[in-house]
Amino acid sequence: MTHFIEHLVFANRKLLVAIFALATLFLGFQASQMRLDAGFEKNIPLNHEYMQTYIEHRKDFGGANNILVSVCDKNGNIFNTNFFDTLKNVHDQLFFINGVNRSLVVSLFSPSTRFTEIVEGGFAGGPVIPADFNSQSQDALDLVAANIEKANIVGRQVASDYSCAMVTAQLLDIDPQTGEPLDTLALAGELEKQLRGEFENDNISIHVIGFAKMIGDVADGAKDVLLFFAIAIAITAVMVYFFSRSIMLTVLPLLCSVIAVVWQLGLLTLLGFGMDPMSILVPFLVFAIGVSHGVQMINAVEKQAVSGIGAKRAAMSAFRSLLIPGGVALLSDTVGFMTLLVIDIGIIRELAITASMGVAVIILTNLVLLPVLMSFLKLDKNYVDKFAGKEGSHSRFWTVIAACSRKKPAIVILLVTAALFVFGHFQAQNMKIGDLHAGAPALHETSRYNQDTFLITDKYEVTVDYISILVETTPEACTSHSVMKAMDDFQWKMENVPGVQSAVSLASVAKIVNAGYNEGNVKWQVLPRNQQTLVQAISRVPTSSGLLNGDCSVMPIILFMEDHKAETISRVVDAVKVYRDEYETDDMKFSLASGPVGVMAATNEAVKAAQDPMMLYVFGAVIALCLISFRSIRATLVVVIPLYVVSVLAQALMTYLQIGLTVSTLPVIALGVGIGVDYGIYILSTKNSMLKQGATVQEAYLAALKERGSAVLFTGITLAIGVSTWVFSSLKFQMDMGILLTFMFVVNMLGAIIVLPALARVLWWNRNDPGA
Amino acid sequence: MKKTIAACITAAFAANYSAVVAAEEVFIAPLVEQSVLLDIDADEFVVIVGERGHVLISQDGQSFKQLKVPSQSTLTAATIKGDHIWAVGHDAVILHSPDRGETWEVQNFQPELQRPFLDVLFFDTQHGIALGAYGLFYRTLDGGKSWQAERHASLLDPYDREYLESVREEDEAFYQQELESILPHLNRVTAHGNTLYIAGEAGLLARSTDRGESWQRFTVDYTGSFFDIKPLDSDTVLAVGLRGNIFVTRDSENWEYISTCSTSTLNSIYLTESNKIYALGNNGMLVSASRPLQTSQHNPYANPSSCTPATGVETRQVEDKAALLNAVSFNGQTIAVSANGIKTLNLE
Repeated sequence: MTHFIEHLVFANRKLLVAIFALATLFLGFQASQMRLDAGFEKNIPLNHEYMQTYIEHRKDFGGANNILVSVCDKNGNIFNTNFFDTLKNVHDQLFFINGVNRSLVVSLFSPSTRFTEIVEGGFAGGPVIPADFNSQSQDALDLVAANIEKANIVGRQVASDYSCAMVTAQLLDIDPQTGEPLDTLALAGELEKQLRGEFENDNISIHVIGFAKMIGDVADGAKDVLLFFAIAIAITAVMVYFFSRSIMLTVLPLLCSVIAVVWQLGLLTLLGFGMDPMSILVPFLVFAIGVSHGVQMINAVEKQAVSGIGAKRAAMSAFRSLLIPGGVALLSDTVGFMTLLVIDIGIIRELAITASMGVAVIILTNLVLLPVLMSFLKLDKNYVDKFAGKEGSHSRFWTVIAACSRKKPAIVILLVTAALFVFGHFQAQNMKIGDLHAGAPALHETSRYNQDTFLITDKYEVTVDYISILVETTPEACTSHSVMKAMDDFQWKMENVPGVQSAVSLASVAKIVNAGYNEGNVKWQVLPRNQQTLVQAISRVPTSSGLLNGDCSVMPIILFMEDHKAETISRVVDAVKVYRDEYETDDMKFSLASGPVGVMAATNEAVKAAQDPMMLYVFGAVIALCLISFRSIRATLVVVIPLYVVSVLAQALMTYLQIGLTVSTLPVIALGVGIGVDYGIYILSTKNSMLKQGATVQEAYLAALKERGSAVLFTGITLAIGVSTWVFSSLKFQMDMGILLTFMFVVNMLGAIIVLPALARVLWWNRNDPGA
Repeated sequence: MKKTIAACITAAFAANYSAVVAAEEVFIAPLVEQSVLLDIDADEFVVIVGERGHVLISQDGQSFKQLKVPSQSTLTAATIKGDHIWAVGHDAVILHSPDRGETWEVQNFQPELQRPFLDVLFFDTQHGIALGAYGLFYRTLDGGKSWQAERHASLLDPYDREYLESVREEDEAFYQQELESILPHLNRVTAHGNTLYIAGEAGLLARSTDRGESWQRFTVDYTGSFFDIKPLDSDTVLAVGLRGNIFVTRDSENWEYISTCSTSTLNSIYLTESNKIYALGNNGMLVSASRPLQTSQHNPYANPSSCTPATGVETRQVEDKAALLNAVSFNGQTIAVSANGIKTLNLE
């Protein structure tokens, strides 16, 4: 079979190169059409129970996709002409930005921002900013200041210290002009340009937060990826040259790997996908994996060429010996990434498709194209001489390492590994799900976006961290005292749950309105039992308040949270599940959940639920492929056990570094396992065939090390250096992924070189050198 | 002149015991000290009541404990008499503890009345009155074992009384019905020796010298509501109410206006041990007035732009601007209750 393919490939090698060149041209063109593409819904588990509730009701209550714009006066006092003019302009500008739900733009200037006061005859009231407002007049500014206090909006629409005022808006999911899903990145760009760009100056600062802005900033940060890509290519080139001592042998694997990336991007565009900023790292990985397999290839060619058989025959021989192990390794990478498809979150699925496609492409570019290209080289005597003598020093090094497969070292290694595993296992139990830090987790704390978030949560009493529990009941239910009392009691119990800062619902607002109808007397701050009185109180609350739908059959209870740490979220969600049992009837359900924290709760639960199946499938795939290719349970065990230990240690590292398991870190372990298995497969493919021929463990291992060891060592280091540069990324999640992948690449490599032989020594107990 | 009408009219029905259904037990809430708390009373200990049936007790004025009471109705007022505590509130609930809050009983619960009690006063451990919305007025002579409802037409203003008299001559039943709906809210009752004072809705200020059996309504040139009335000495009586208005009488007949230039409704009068006068109000308003009180010519209905407060009157707001409901001095400190819970006020 291999021979047939080998013949087919090398007999038509010029044609093959031409086909590859054409395909690269075509896909390269496609790749140049690639667009960045981000959507809110891709980041959430749409089929999760909570998200079903969210989707069902978001027409009435808006989504979790909103924008907060805080306009701040740098002198700390908003009551001046310039500030109010700017605020009005920001309001108007935001209103006209495409994608903004115009009925839900709220600021001091919106007519719905009103005050009411109690006078002897009843109520008096009006808009906070009167229609004839003249920002030039000090009297008008004083009047607005008084109205703001009466309207009770300090802390929400106006900063508690009167240094800022807020404009809020909800975003549409569908672009009303095109009918297509909203282009979030374009909107983010508009916000930056039309709000911050226009209005920020020496007197005014503009602070914008919300998912759309966040993802826009992530996309900007993701553009740095090009720089990292360049750095990674440079480092890799130097390393490969150091390894191959030949410019051509440096250029070819890099070229083939770049071709793999081009193909991957082109195919992605062809399939109609865009590149999401959150999975911008995949091309990196594809390149790194391509190089690692390319290095195996040049290593094999070099080993053959040194014996002086010429480039073409060396390339053919390398092709023959690496097609199976390389193919298996890449196939297990592909399958490993494909397992991520089981996770019902759009962005992870996209990552799975992007990554598995990229890796599958490497089979063609680096296992087929690369040896074909190398067969055209002239590996002259000069080249061969460079390696003369090098083999000897390598041999000595590998002989030392080969001691790992002797009895005493093997037992020590296995004991240490077992101890690490136990330690890692207990650490991994403490791994947290979700975001562990305040602000947007994808970005650093020092980023403008997170600084803006901190400023807004500091200056206002609002928080972007809220969860809505939707009370689903019968039409006109808000006129029923018992329904409203159940909501009110439930809300009070939830307010008493640690982590909940405050809460609001139609019931709690109705109580305040009722006090208002009774001369503002706090003693009347109750839900009236009299239905007419209750209706009178509720009729003051418009549906635009987001506290009830048109026929008040659905009413959210909004809980404002102290933070969005996973522990806080799960404590609150658990409390909801306990308390709602007391109040739910056939006609009244308390459904989780909406609001940004509701989305996080669903995502956390989906991620948590996905973790075990994902590991199961990744390892299942790896085990199945090892069994098929090695046809040996022992061989499979020696590959898989070190992998598993390393993945547990990676979880322990996450606990230690306070990296939570999130949508962006969840795939890392699958990626790490998928790539980490390559080392073991390469080492073992030589070793296993030697063992099958009757060699002892020690002989087989030394032979494997001599043949593949330097390439494995080299690959691990190259991959690790490539991803470790991510530590300097402006994106926090990229940094986290960089740390974790570096760890997994290095430790998996060590596992394959050190733990694998020790395990083999024990598993093939009777197949050892005498005295080893 | 109309002494007969001014006399109390005792409606001949006893409080409805059958309505005392097994009321729900209060939720013991960690955040009870930050909930809406509506009244405070102190004697040898402090008792605080508020929304959702919250009752708190403190021996030292520092640490408070929520008590398990058999009601979730919002409690608007409480009073201590010896070891006894009475707390009243919405759903016409009256709760009683004979043992400093150890055990509780529901003495009255009539949600179908749809009227809250707003204040409670006991002359001794047997004789007390509870009053509230729409002229709600209950009296007990046996420590609350039984409560009798009363209607006091003498609390009405002269025009309404005249109208009702004409109705009564024609139809007694319709008279009772009209009286029931026309009576004002009775917001506060205070005692000074044997004299009782009531502050109520729509300009109601009244005095009784027979433990509330009959009332003499004062004539005040103001129709906004009053929320507290307190005698400062045998001649001087102070009343506070809607939109920051303070009135004072020095001869128990003529009421004069004291301008505060604040429109925040004042809920309670608080006298410090050093005899300084404070009024506590909505929006966290604290009005202080030094004696002797100076009156103003300002019109109480006017908006307070270009207003100067009466001499000796100062206003300030507590930081969180939560409505202040009442305060007591206990153990050398001033403890207030507010819409945001318990507050220790620093008045110096």
